[in-house]
Amino acid sequence: MLRRSLLMILLVFSLLASACGAASAPGGEGKLLVVATMPVVSDVVRQVGGDFVHVETLLPIGSDVHQYVPRPQDSVMVSKARLIFAHGAGLETFLEPILENAGAKDRLIEVARDVPLIKFEGAESEHQGEHQGEHQGEQQGEQQAMHEHEHEHDFDPHTWFDPNNVMIWADTIAEALSQADPSHASVYRKNAEAYKAQLKELDAWIREQVAPIPPERRKLVTDHRAYGYFAQRYGFEQIGAVLPSFSTEAAPSAQELAALEQAIRSYGVPVIFVEEIGNRALAEQVARDTGVRLVQLYHDLGPAGSEADTYLKFMRYNVTQIVQGLK
Amino acid sequence: MNLSELLLSPFAYPFMFRALLAALIVSTVCAVIGSYVVLRGMAFFGDALAHTLLPGVALGYLLSGANREALFWWALGTSILASLGIGALTCSARLREDTAIGIVFAGMFALGIALISTVRSYAVDLSHFLFGDVLGVSEAALWRMAIFGGVVLLLVFLLYKEFLVISFDPVLAATLRLPTRHLENLFLILIAISVAVALQTVGVALMVAMLITPATTAYLLTHRLPAMMGLATIFAIFSSLIGLYLSYYLGIASGAAIVLVSTLLFAMVFLLRRNER
Amino acid sequence: MPSHPVHQLDQPILDVRHLTVRYGESIALEDITFHLHAGERIAVVGPNGAGKSTLFKVIAGVIRPTAGEVRIYGSHPSHHVCIGYVPQRSQVEWRFPVTVEDVVMMGRVARIGLLRRPGREDRQRVRQALETVGLAEMADRPIQALSGGQQQRMFIARALAQEAELLLMDEPLNGLDIPSQEGILALLDTLREQGVTLMVATHDLDQAARFFDRVMLLNRRLIGFGAPSDVFSQERLQRAYGGRLKIVQSENEQIALGDTCCQEPSFYEPF
Repeated sequence: MLRRSLLMILLVFSLLASACGAASAPGGEGKLLVVATMPVVSDVVRQVGGDFVHVETLLPIGSDVHQYVPRPQDSVMVSKARLIFAHGAGLETFLEPILENAGAKDRLIEVARDVPLIKFEGAESEHQGEHQGEHQGEQQGEQQAMHEHEHEHDFDPHTWFDPNNVMIWADTIAEALSQADPSHASVYRKNAEAYKAQLKELDAWIREQVAPIPPERRKLVTDHRAYGYFAQRYGFEQIGAVLPSFSTEAAPSAQELAALEQAIRSYGVPVIFVEEIGNRALAEQVARDTGVRLVQLYHDLGPAGSEADTYLKFMRYNVTQIVQGLK
Repeated sequence: MNLSELLLSPFAYPFMFRALLAALIVSTVCAVIGSYVVLRGMAFFGDALAHTLLPGVALGYLLSGANREALFWWALGTSILASLGIGALTCSARLREDTAIGIVFAGMFALGIALISTVRSYAVDLSHFLFGDVLGVSEAALWRMAIFGGVVLLLVFLLYKEFLVISFDPVLAATLRLPTRHLENLFLILIAISVAVALQTVGVALMVAMLITPATTAYLLTHRLPAMMGLATIFAIFSSLIGLYLSYYLGIASGAAIVLVSTLLFAMVFLLRRNER
Repeated sequence: MPSHPVHQLDQPILDVRHLTVRYGESIALEDITFHLHAGERIAVVGPNGAGKSTLFKVIAGVIRPTAGEVRIYGSHPSHHVCIGYVPQRSQVEWRFPVTVEDVVMMGRVARIGLLRRPGREDRQRVRQALETVGLAEMADRPIQALSGGQQQRMFIARALAQEAELLLMDEPLNGLDIPSQEGILALLDTLREQGVTLMVATHDLDQAARFFDRVMLLNRRLIGFGAPSDVFSQERLQRAYGGRLKIVQSENEQIALGDTCCQEPSFYEPF
């Protein structure tokens, strides 16, 4: 009886061990193997890397990057990759221990490295409106000083909601890929420029879409404070969020909820924008109490074949929803 | 702001008012059932039961999604099964009661975590459900809590003397030919229902406090069981009220605030009564 | 509440035949046979672990026998509510928030019935019972406040309120001082006057011999049952107590020094 149990245990263990071993997938056909944390980062890396780069993504579609808990396979992938592309700006808090274990800190590329970050002010609204240019200049200066990535949790990490930031990503990615794989440097540069042109087009399209919305209706109430960069660029104001933080880990206090409902009522906001992550039930409660409706947006890319499976489609879908919601 | 504004203004918000009602229902039910839990030394059982819910609720989340109503039924079903299961385990004489409960509790909790981890698009909603989210109580949820809580209170009232006998003197219960096993099982089911009802208010981690702290405080002050239940209810309601105010004005989590006030109350009574009993 | 079985009054109040109780490997009681008539007063003696508590619990219908049968007035114990059981004081949770009156009222629960509250008759019987045992002034006091002797009397009052006809008392005189013991024994007389049949487990052989009609000497088997002088023969006592009894011969009488310490291990296993 005892021998049989021991044999069973040994069998199970050896199966598990072989499964772990088998989960290795080399770059294949001489491609550069890189790892990206989030689907949106992954998409942009693919656009720049083209045929010469194979990208593995850590986070599955639909998972919450603010609360992601890594698995052993993630460590394996990180250790095998030439480069690790993360967003940065304090978003991927789970990454640090994996990088340390894999000795991969020098292979980390934070795509948002050169993006001017918005600092958390503690105030409810980020009234960026017409003072865009001014603020940007200030923040660029601050940005240099903060290059050592101190206090990153004080910055809004949602840079991808402004395509102009993603243009900066593209440059950072091209540079990193070129350094790792100089033979294809010119290709990466070309791809980056082509993609940036598409992003410029997207930016123009967005401006056109939001133009008809009058200023008093440009108030965003969201599930969590993800729209800082979008608001800043396109003249909106984040007047409140169900989870009053840049992260979905926060839980609102009663007073914060009360203030949110107050804000919704006083600004006459017609919708709350929710995402595939965050506290849906709480958002529903607030919506029911204030008589507004919920509109679904994407926080990160959607599944393959959906309306948001590339960054460009993702932004187009979100903006369309925002415009329709606020009209 | 004058005092009445201070006291009344939070409850102008519907979510605060619902939170208050939820806390009142949960306080009353847990205080009454908790009196028995304390007297019968079942605090560990109560804690274990709350944790044992996790795999059932995780399964519910996997099958029904983040629908709060569905999760309530899953929690209720799992709770009842777990309660009767642990009860059956403690009857078998091979293991000591605390080790049997401990093994089930830890195993089930681990099963729950394993289940959740298979859902790679993580279960944030689930964690709210398990750690308490009294500010997110919907009207439908309130009705469910009121109905099931009411059933628990009604049965405790109707079967008061029977529960008293099986708790105080099981041998007497047997000589009186009371349907002891059925009553015991019913009692376990009532605890299970109370836990499911209280889950959204304080969550798994703090559940046991709702069951035992007000009842224990009351125990220090009275020699009669009905008075103990009454005092426990008063203490629990008081803690809920103050806890909600603290949550509102100081911005701290409601569940934790309620339990902290409750514990503070216990500490005060304990110190005042130190020389007696 | 199911109606109580009719007492076949021509039958002995308690009829035990070939009773055997086994817990796993160990035998608690083996092949016990005896019967009692209404109104008798029996002492049950034996060393620790002899099975006295087990015997009582089988009679009370709490434990099922492995073999053999028990009949109360001709029918199976589980149908009767007229059997009272007074537990060993150490087994009771004295910190329970109940008053003396609450505990005595518990004896009425079967008679009150499911879903009903105590009525006037119930309260009257409880009051009477308390008066009979002399605890009327303590009715409202918490049970924690009672002395050893008062605790015993409370349980006797409970059995009276229960209208028990057969009362099983598990070592009621343990740990009581002499005056309290005498108080209890006096109460037993009162019980006999009320027609209650008594089985009392005790360690005190002397008391057993003096205050009881018949004594039962038990050590897993029924070693003897009858008049004290017959049952307390040297040979029988040796068989029951083995090495744990010292019998000292003095001029006219035997002095038996028994093993009276320690609790009888509890085999209580609810089913």
